[in-house]
Amino acid sequence: MEVVQVLHMKNGDGETSYARNSTVQKKTISFAKPIIEKAVLEILGSTIMGIESMGIADLGCSSGPNTFLLVSHIMDVIHAKFSTVTELRVFLNDLFSNDFNSIFMSLPAFYDKLNKQDYNNGRDPEQHVINPLISAVPGSFYGPLFPRKSMHFVHSSFSLHWLSQVPDGLNNKGKIYMSKSSPQCVLDAYSMQFQKGFAVFLRSRAQEIVDGGRMVLSFMGRPSSDPTADQGTFYQYELLAQALMAMVSKGLIKEEKVDSFNLPHYAPCAEELNLVLQKEGSFIKEHLEAFEVDWDIGGADLDHNMPNGTFDDDQTITSNGQQMANSIRAVVESMLESHFGKEIMDDVFQKYAELVSRHLTNSTTTPKYTVWVISLVKKN
Amino acid sequence: MEVVQILHMNKGNGEASYAQNSKVQNKIFAIAKPILEKALLELLGSNRLMAMESMGIADLGCSSGPNTLLLISEIMDVIHAQLSSGQLHPSWSSMEFRVFLNDLFSNDFNTVFMTLPAFYNKLREDDRYRRLFGANPNLFISAVPGSFYGRLFARKSLHFVHSSSSLHWLSQVPPSLESKAGTALNKGKIYISKSSPQCVLDAYSLQFHEDFLMFLKSRAEEIVGGGRMVLSFMGRPTLDPTTEQSCYHWELLALALMSMVSDGLVEEEKVDSFNAPYYAPCAEELKSELQKDGSFIMDRLEAFEIDWDGGGDVVDDQANIVNGFDHDQMVAISGKRVAKTIRAVVESMIEAHFGIEIMDDLFQRYTELVTNHLSKRRTKYINLVISLIRRD
Repeated sequence: MEVVQVLHMKNGDGETSYARNSTVQKKTISFAKPIIEKAVLEILGSTIMGIESMGIADLGCSSGPNTFLLVSHIMDVIHAKFSTVTELRVFLNDLFSNDFNSIFMSLPAFYDKLNKQDYNNGRDPEQHVINPLISAVPGSFYGPLFPRKSMHFVHSSFSLHWLSQVPDGLNNKGKIYMSKSSPQCVLDAYSMQFQKGFAVFLRSRAQEIVDGGRMVLSFMGRPSSDPTADQGTFYQYELLAQALMAMVSKGLIKEEKVDSFNLPHYAPCAEELNLVLQKEGSFIKEHLEAFEVDWDIGGADLDHNMPNGTFDDDQTITSNGQQMANSIRAVVESMLESHFGKEIMDDVFQKYAELVSRHLTNSTTTPKYTVWVISLVKKN
Repeated sequence: MEVVQILHMNKGNGEASYAQNSKVQNKIFAIAKPILEKALLELLGSNRLMAMESMGIADLGCSSGPNTLLLISEIMDVIHAQLSSGQLHPSWSSMEFRVFLNDLFSNDFNTVFMTLPAFYNKLREDDRYRRLFGANPNLFISAVPGSFYGRLFARKSLHFVHSSSSLHWLSQVPPSLESKAGTALNKGKIYISKSSPQCVLDAYSLQFHEDFLMFLKSRAEEIVGGGRMVLSFMGRPTLDPTTEQSCYHWELLALALMSMVSDGLVEEEKVDSFNAPYYAPCAEELKSELQKDGSFIMDRLEAFEIDWDGGGDVVDDQANIVNGFDHDQMVAISGKRVAKTIRAVVESMIEAHFGIEIMDDLFQRYTELVTNHLSKRRTKYINLVISLIRRD
């Protein structure tokens, strides 16, 4: 599976689309907001840089309601304080099959909103209103994307847990990600792939970001070194593997198909991050923080009260379970479809919703993702 | 009609798509190539670009389909040739190319992007490029959605700007033609016609002047001194804007619509209230705005004739003759091709105004009218190509 060409969030705004199922991603941007603001203010305030034309990039911008959040936040910061900036170049990056058309279709409304926005209240009176010059850059961030020294601020949210490829030669029977039963070589292969990729990412950005420029990155991680210690960080995929194996039992999918499928995903621990950062050496780590975010169960609390009374069979789907299943489907369907075929998707995700519902009902609290937010400064 | 949001070439790769029906535009690009190459060579030879810098290239109205990457391919070829023959300093191999593909918001950029991996691979695997640029040609392609009647790019960030088959599209239908009061000024027509009143001609001309001036002003801020711009678009040979060469393909479309009015399939008011946001200028109009703006020197201005169906080497006359097609059959093939080409281009606007239901019938009628016309007269488009230098 050519990740770079296949992976994309689910298009449109249907029930299982990314646009309708991206609240976790939105929450993450909220957590990161103060860290982003601080970083941008530092850049603007730096007298050494005296920037006139500021370059910012959002890597893994996807499409949907979250896509313009970063630009909006940065525009707010820029207008709140006087600086030498007169021009803002904005680059939205994602892989080749991302739905850029729908981002572009919503640009006129976004520009309208910006024009109508009364910056006068929050605006430093000396600071002119700036209109952003927005462009889209398709391609993998595991490699060069921008000309040398053209960026002042790079952001990436909920994207760096996607690897550039599935680790080679995995022997991970019946599973699609790291699992308690995965052999050590699988865990090592995943870790190595992440470290290799993250190093390439850092090296590429180091060429593109000016000295003193900054990066704020948010992505899935885990609190412990042991990759299967924290359930919230991997169990969503354990259940998906179980759903696929249920299809195998029903004869709808060949077992070999599941054995040969593994997600190009990795949730690193702090030690791995620090190791790569240190080794690559182009960035100073200013801030590293972990946030916990609930699995996407639909905003309400975990519903232990079943609609019909008791949870009496394996086929009940709760609204929590359905929402969680939709949120995962929006993200992984492109890859599953490419490997297993379109026809089986509904069945797989129906089963997945059932398994998630059961898991959630048996959990006392909502499982939580761990999300890293890291703020870096490019060394001179 | 909000042109900026509606106008786009037909998406995808299907039978009615622009991708499958843009050989005429491809031919137009080919005809302008020598002028493009000359401008590029002069830019490269002018030492405006020192190695280790980055070169900004923009294609305005890039659309989607097989023509979209023609410009960048052509530029890469020219640079390779110059490097190989020693005309460019070897350090040029570390030049970075910032390529901006611009079109309106509803352009099918997704399809363009899906072709990029194969395009990059082709470059990487091409021996010539590998020797020149190493493992990764320093090519950074991005899409810039928005209207070129206004600023799109950073100040002084571009060295070479190109636009083909786009500048005949206005930023809007001339406002006085969009009269809501009820009296349509251009009854039964959808563009300038021999029967259009003078106020219609004036409205169109004024809109073009405003738009083209805005275009020049915007580019003037974005292009470095000595930078080049090559623009290719529909025009006309004389001052008279009602000439057949610049109007008749619209005239026939209006006739097709009016025939549907006669058959009770379309409301007459609908036709009266539709006008194409299009203008085919003459050389004098271009020069007048160039002078007003004052930032560009006109290096060359040429006019080319081009058949409605793209001409001889597009429609393979030889093959058709061998296949035993007679003149009538060849005219019919030509008429169909012309209608499909026009449909791929105007469908978005026609649909927005008239609805999708009439489309097939409309273009069936249009095909017949075009075929009938071509059997009597092989009217040609006039395509203008202008090469400009940004003053210091």
